[in-house]
Amino acid sequence: MIEARELTKRYGDTTAVHSLSFTIAPGTVTGFLGPNGAGKSTTMRMIMGLDRPTSGTVTVNGKPYRQHRAPLREVGALLEASAVHPGRSARSHLRSMAATHNIKASRVSEVIEMTGLAGVATKRVGGFSLGMGQRLGIAAALLGDPRTLILDEPVNGLDPEGVQWVRQLVRALAAEGRTVFLSSHLMSEMSQTADHLLVIGRGRIIAAGPVQQVIDSVAGGAVRVRSPRAGELAAALAADGATVTSPEAGMLEVSGTTAEHVGEVAFRNGLLHELSPRRASLEEAYMSLTQDAVEYRAHTTTTTSRTAKAENQ
Amino acid sequence: MSTLTADPPTTSHAATPPAAAQVQPTFAGVVRGEWIKLLSLRSTWWALASTAAVITLVALAAAASLNAMADDPALAPGIEQMHGAEVISSGFHFGMLTIAVLGALLITGEYATGLIRSTFAAVPTRIPVLAAKALTLVVLTAAVTLVSVTLSYFLTMPRLSQYDLVPALDDPGTWRVFGGTLYSLISAALFSLGVGTLLRSTAASLTAALTVLLLLPGILSFIRLDWVETIVSYLPLPASSALLTTGAVETQGAYLSAQASLIVMAAYAVVPIAAAAVTLHRRDA
Repeated sequence: MIEARELTKRYGDTTAVHSLSFTIAPGTVTGFLGPNGAGKSTTMRMIMGLDRPTSGTVTVNGKPYRQHRAPLREVGALLEASAVHPGRSARSHLRSMAATHNIKASRVSEVIEMTGLAGVATKRVGGFSLGMGQRLGIAAALLGDPRTLILDEPVNGLDPEGVQWVRQLVRALAAEGRTVFLSSHLMSEMSQTADHLLVIGRGRIIAAGPVQQVIDSVAGGAVRVRSPRAGELAAALAADGATVTSPEAGMLEVSGTTAEHVGEVAFRNGLLHELSPRRASLEEAYMSLTQDAVEYRAHTTTTTSRTAKAENQ
Repeated sequence: MSTLTADPPTTSHAATPPAAAQVQPTFAGVVRGEWIKLLSLRSTWWALASTAAVITLVALAAAASLNAMADDPALAPGIEQMHGAEVISSGFHFGMLTIAVLGALLITGEYATGLIRSTFAAVPTRIPVLAAKALTLVVLTAAVTLVSVTLSYFLTMPRLSQYDLVPALDDPGTWRVFGGTLYSLISAALFSLGVGTLLRSTAASLTAALTVLLLLPGILSFIRLDWVETIVSYLPLPASSALLTTGAVETQGAYLSAQASLIVMAAYAVVPIAAAAVTLHRRDA
């Protein structure tokens, strides 16, 4: 259980996190989304007692992190970048962390096995790939068998098998009643892993709730229509108040109406080759939610066509 | 990468979940953690080996130069005034250099790599980490000083015996010099750890620590103002030099008394660490 109340962090004139209040419930996987610079990592660092809030409070399992007697048993964290010295072996890193809490060496071996690092445990971390570094970070997070897990971009750099493994691992951890709070930029992955979402932008909460509810609150879905006489059909639908866009010649994307209505209009106006209603993806919902909150935007015009391609997959 | 083949999903409830009662941080555990960290880095062993090597080599060189001194009629009488222990410890300021690097890296290496976040996540009260680092650093510095002085003692013995300078082990002067060496090196190590904790960047910390420890006396020696000379006498190198004499010969110039030097060197060790402890608690990691 993680509870934030009016959590605020300012760096000079910049407000990185602005009065966030949220509760992350145990037994669920909660996804933490937001564009780069939205304040995700700052929020996670404040939960971990690494950064001090300018105002407001955040507690984990009922207490501020710093006040827990056995912090590694309460929270296991994988924070951005590797928090490991490259000159040390994976096993030494884990042993040094375990030693602080008098965690047995057998537990170190267990998390090494569990994360698939057995073959490289004695190698220096500096030679690790991004994915192996992530596995080590996850091993460190699991070390104290914590009730709450905070994972910043856990699948970053993992191969597809690793991504699947993380998904199954966090689902299993949540099923045991633990609290799992994770961030990711991979929307398709997040939609498969998370039960709940917390979306922030520019340090403020944009949306929160169960995944489907967040998606539905944004995009009501759309209907895709392919017709040889797309122009006439578009005009007719627009006259009825629907929003029509044409991602490519002969194809229309219609929102603001139902598939049935589009079908009827098409029947009256000419030919119809394809009519497919579709629910919005998390990615689209995310894009539209964070549209105004993107801090660092690349100025290209490919965004829409990329979105369109993603839909076709 | 067959070695990385993930196991089928296992929960973190493994065969032997750590028993809640025993799993919690203790200071002994934090010290053990720091000890593992320190000994599992190659740079530690490099720093220790170079410290022992430079101290021993400079002692050997100093002993070897006795021949040249003896040949020079102007310098020859000086040999009579020398104490063998001073020859053996003559490399201590080079030792200061490497041991100060070790002291600073102990903490700046954690900031540079991000490891500090793992460390403070495990010990969120933070101060025990600094205390444990100081403790392990003192133990290692003492050990390497002991090894260096012992090595130097035996390796310089053939040359020193030619001039009847082998320091007698029942001579309090001998122990005063060796004790001064140990005291100064420990002080330099802790000073550097404190500066490293305050500044966090490796480059800035090493520059600041080594400037104060080793460079300033040389730079300021060109300024012949009374108050500058007084400041110089309080810098670590002159202050510790005052500790590294047998006291048989009256030290000249602006040197501090041995008692004052003990206090000054203790202040170099304690003040930055105390300041670091205060800021450590407050600052974001």
